[in-house]
Amino acid sequence: MALFQVSGLKSYAELREQILPARQTHLFDRTNHYNFGTKTQEFAVPLGVDPSGFLGTCSRDGGVSIDLNHGTTTLAFKFRHGVIVAVDSRASAGRYLASNDVNKVIEINPYLLGTMSGSAADCQYWERLLAKECRLYRLRSNHRISVAAASKLLCNMMLGYRGMGLSMGSMICGWDKEGPGLYYVDDRGTRLSGRMFSTGCGSSYAYGVVDSGYREDMAVEEAYELGRRGIAHATHRDAYSGGAVNMYHMQQDGWIKVCKDDVSELIHRYRKGMF
Amino acid sequence: VLIRPASSQESVLQPPCGPAGLPPAASQTVPLPFPMSHGTTTLAFLFQGGVLAAADTRSSCSGLVACPASQKIRPIHSHLVGTTSGTSADCALWKRILSRELRLYQLRHGRRLSTSGAGGGASADLGGTSGGLQKASPSSSGPGLWYVCSDGTRLRGSLFSVGSGSPYAYSILDQGVRWGLTVEEATSVAREAVYRAAHRDAWSGNCVDVYHVTSKGWTRRKREDLKEEYYREKGRQGR
Repeated sequence: MALFQVSGLKSYAELREQILPARQTHLFDRTNHYNFGTKTQEFAVPLGVDPSGFLGTCSRDGGVSIDLNHGTTTLAFKFRHGVIVAVDSRASAGRYLASNDVNKVIEINPYLLGTMSGSAADCQYWERLLAKECRLYRLRSNHRISVAAASKLLCNMMLGYRGMGLSMGSMICGWDKEGPGLYYVDDRGTRLSGRMFSTGCGSSYAYGVVDSGYREDMAVEEAYELGRRGIAHATHRDAYSGGAVNMYHMQQDGWIKVCKDDVSELIHRYRKGMF
Repeated sequence: VLIRPASSQESVLQPPCGPAGLPPAASQTVPLPFPMSHGTTTLAFLFQGGVLAAADTRSSCSGLVACPASQKIRPIHSHLVGTTSGTSADCALWKRILSRELRLYQLRHGRRLSTSGAGGGASADLGGTSGGLQKASPSSSGPGLWYVCSDGTRLRGSLFSVGSGSPYAYSILDQGVRWGLTVEEATSVAREAVYRAAHRDAWSGNCVDVYHVTSKGWTRRKREDLKEEYYREKGRQGR
């Protein structure tokens, strides 16, 4: 230490303080595996700003009209041979049809899937962040993250920004040591484990069909058909859902993409013989 | 509102205004004394055997099940049946007024008014109520089905479902209803649709009523408790 003082070199900590402003000591990897980002937020929200209040004023008549993309139908259910995930592919912005070819399933990694409903931007960002955290967990602890833990991570991220205008309704599906896993997570921090969920404005139509045809011991082809029918009938009645059915099957060794069927063709097939 | 599962859909309440014919100045809107809440599942569709109408039997008032055994399908005359959804009081009143008017028409003109005429009359009268009515009957021109709403909407169609549980019922009906159904098949589709809606929608439930209208008049099936259906299905699934 005597040489250090004589040579006039500044210590690393002092140097760092001069370059970076005070208190900004965690530049890299703030969400570490001890606290999963619950102590420091991903974004610093300035005091006094109320994002959800601001968004409310935007959709008033006469004001700036920001219509968020909301309409969708997604469904997922667990059965003996895994988890079926089926989503529509329409993106609407108010009355305008932005796209009929959106992928609302986010492939987090080869054994985890997340569905997307609510604000597309929020879903994509936070689920990619979840993918990063799952990968880091795998590298640090040398085993795959469980579906329960992954959904808990996402849920805690949402809770950090509760009431600030996030909009996300997502289902995290996977297969881990406990078997097939299905969790519903939303922007309010709700996290529910269940056998079957459906989200979006077309969800009630999908619920009727899937409740009616569901059996735990279904064959794989029957389950595919049930998922297809659920989305097809929902898109038939709901104006904000449509396009094609994107269906995934979560199996023990990872997910496979089953099909991408156009709903108009499906509906014509199902409703043959109707007036 | 669009990302929560099973979002509730309550029909919009309209403040009472005077009957058509009175000048607007005489019919001021009155604030409602307490928040009214209503939900239901009713459905009706046409098929080769006539018209089938089905409804649940729960009357709710916000969180309270005010009556678990109400009648949401009321016959208007021997060949005309109306389903009700919305505020029970309004529907009951206007149904009785409609029956009276139709009876008077029958007495004056010696024949029954057609469904479309009845629908027209109902929509003119319904200016101030809330909710939707469906009227189902076979008239001289065959079976007819009209959807009438308190804002004056009057639509003719072959399949309708009204109420907070209607989305759940619609998908079942879309799957199963075809022109060539037998009466038993049609009844089973209607029962299944009401059962699924009652299962998912908080404001629908208890029992299911099914009415079948043909050229010979309406017949009513015995009221069935949906709780039994739930336990039967649970037993089948072995859960």
